[in-house]
Amino acid sequence: MAITFTTPARASFLLRMPKLPGLKFLAGNKKARLALIILVPILLLTAFASYLPLQGPLQTNLRAMMQEPSFLHPFGTDRMGRDVLVRTLAGVQVSLFVGFSVAIIALVFGVVLGTIAGFFGRTVDRAIMSVVDIFLAFPSLLLAIGLVSVVGTGLVPVILAIAIADVPRFIRLQRSLVLSPRSRAYIDAARTVKASQWWLMSRHIVPNTIAPLLVAASIAAANAILVEASLSFLGLGIMPPSPSLGNIIRDGQLYLQQAWWISTMPGVVILAIALSLHFLSDGIREALDPRARK
Amino acid sequence: MFTYSLNRLLQLVVTTLGVVTLVFFTLRLIPGDAASAMAGDTLSGEALDRLREQMGLNKPIWVQYIEYLQNLITLNFGETITTGLSIGGLLSKAIPITLAIAVATIVLTIIISIPLGTLAAYLAHKGHKTLDNIITGGAMLVDLMPSFWTALVFLLLFSLTLGLFPASGTVSLDDPAAFLHRIALPVLVLSVTQIATMARITRTAVLEILSEDYIRTARSMGWSELRVLFRHALKNAALPIVTVVGLSFGSLLNGTIIVEFIFTIPGLGSLLVNGINSRDYQLVQTLIVFYALFFVSVNFFTDLVYKRLDPRVQF
Repeated sequence: MAITFTTPARASFLLRMPKLPGLKFLAGNKKARLALIILVPILLLTAFASYLPLQGPLQTNLRAMMQEPSFLHPFGTDRMGRDVLVRTLAGVQVSLFVGFSVAIIALVFGVVLGTIAGFFGRTVDRAIMSVVDIFLAFPSLLLAIGLVSVVGTGLVPVILAIAIADVPRFIRLQRSLVLSPRSRAYIDAARTVKASQWWLMSRHIVPNTIAPLLVAASIAAANAILVEASLSFLGLGIMPPSPSLGNIIRDGQLYLQQAWWISTMPGVVILAIALSLHFLSDGIREALDPRARK
Repeated sequence: MFTYSLNRLLQLVVTTLGVVTLVFFTLRLIPGDAASAMAGDTLSGEALDRLREQMGLNKPIWVQYIEYLQNLITLNFGETITTGLSIGGLLSKAIPITLAIAVATIVLTIIISIPLGTLAAYLAHKGHKTLDNIITGGAMLVDLMPSFWTALVFLLLFSLTLGLFPASGTVSLDDPAAFLHRIALPVLVLSVTQIATMARITRTAVLEILSEDYIRTARSMGWSELRVLFRHALKNAALPIVTVVGLSFGSLLNGTIIVEFIFTIPGLGSLLVNGINSRDYQLVQTLIVFYALFFVSVNFFTDLVYKRLDPRVQF
């Protein structure tokens, strides 16, 4: 464990002055380490995919169609002789981009609007939260599907659709985080020395929301990756020939019996990424919240 | 209880109105308009105007809105634009199928996940770490599998390789046995994810309660472990479990869209995906409103059950 708390006093010091989870924090946590062990190789492979001596993701090879996984093609080839591993890596690039963009957009809008709702209260709060309630009345994938039918298919529309579906969840989280510490002793302490509302918000309340927000953001990234894959699988997300994990799996669906690897392999990769992002969020929570450690 | 239900009902009505309004205005945000988006490059000039007229897009927007509300209240959903079929007719055929899949999944999930979660909690409580870790880890892994991928893997295993269930074919409610056989695989796919979620929640809820004083008291009174576990612990863990059954209904609805698409089952989900692909906005609008209303109503009833189960809540 990178940081150990010996006395409650030191723990409460951290509650007031949270630090962003540095690498040191994460390296000391078992789950975070496991997450990084899965994520880092995937990230490196994806980043350097174009430098590897492999054929391009769109390059067909009619002499090597529907080949089983082998040393030359670890994930096999598809009906046009395209290498499934290379296509999967290109799909992972898209997935990660979608995941992080959605997490960042949802985080920014969620924090701003949630803080406003919690800070101003009354009418503003009621107005924001009633819109949030309307959005939360849709199951998330359904909302994304509905929005895609309006904004269209492709990378940017898909990111927007998923992010719009996610923002209300972050607003609700941030609002509850802003409202909950109002009765804490350190807030009372700051009030007794006549700290202004603004000071309380910017110095004490909002900084304390960073840890739970990061936990939620890494789960949101994992969800966004799953939703993008689902949309592309349904033919409503990223359209072929540009590879995305969802549309590679969709392509393989027709050849499930003859070439099981086309659909199966990218799914294993999605699962690995989603799993590691969840471990990462557990790791961040455990590193920042001493009560979560057991 | 009565005041609470009434308040909650009022909230439901407000949300419903919001949902209906949001869907209406969002679909009017389409660049150009719904008619030209639908027609693409196939229609021009007069033909496009005729389509607009047919879709009611030539009237002022508030007139369209009022008409839309009237039609929803009188359950007059109109016809699909592409095929001219009655949307009400399509819905009445699709709803029972999707509902059957959802109900079967919920029943199967509850039967399996609650004993499994309770067992995991008991094992964790007694210090059998390895077994508990296997159940919890397995549940997490299954929980994160994309449902369309699970569906394909199950299709490959149970249908194409082992030949246990049909992968396609007609779906008809007239022959219940054949219908159940046909929806068995989709239900199984949806259930695995739901079971994983529910088992994890049950485990956490029961584990927390197992360390309560009254459990120790029950034990010291000589009740058997099974009775303590299911009569005392599980009963008190029911609250969070009920909440999650309600909440996971959303992910269940998401799942039905995907399995219906994969197993070519003519339910609401297939209708939706086909509607979007053929740009039939009239149909898509109705379906999305329908899904959302279904979802908020389930949440409404979950809340009522929750309040009913929790004797500590004051009304």
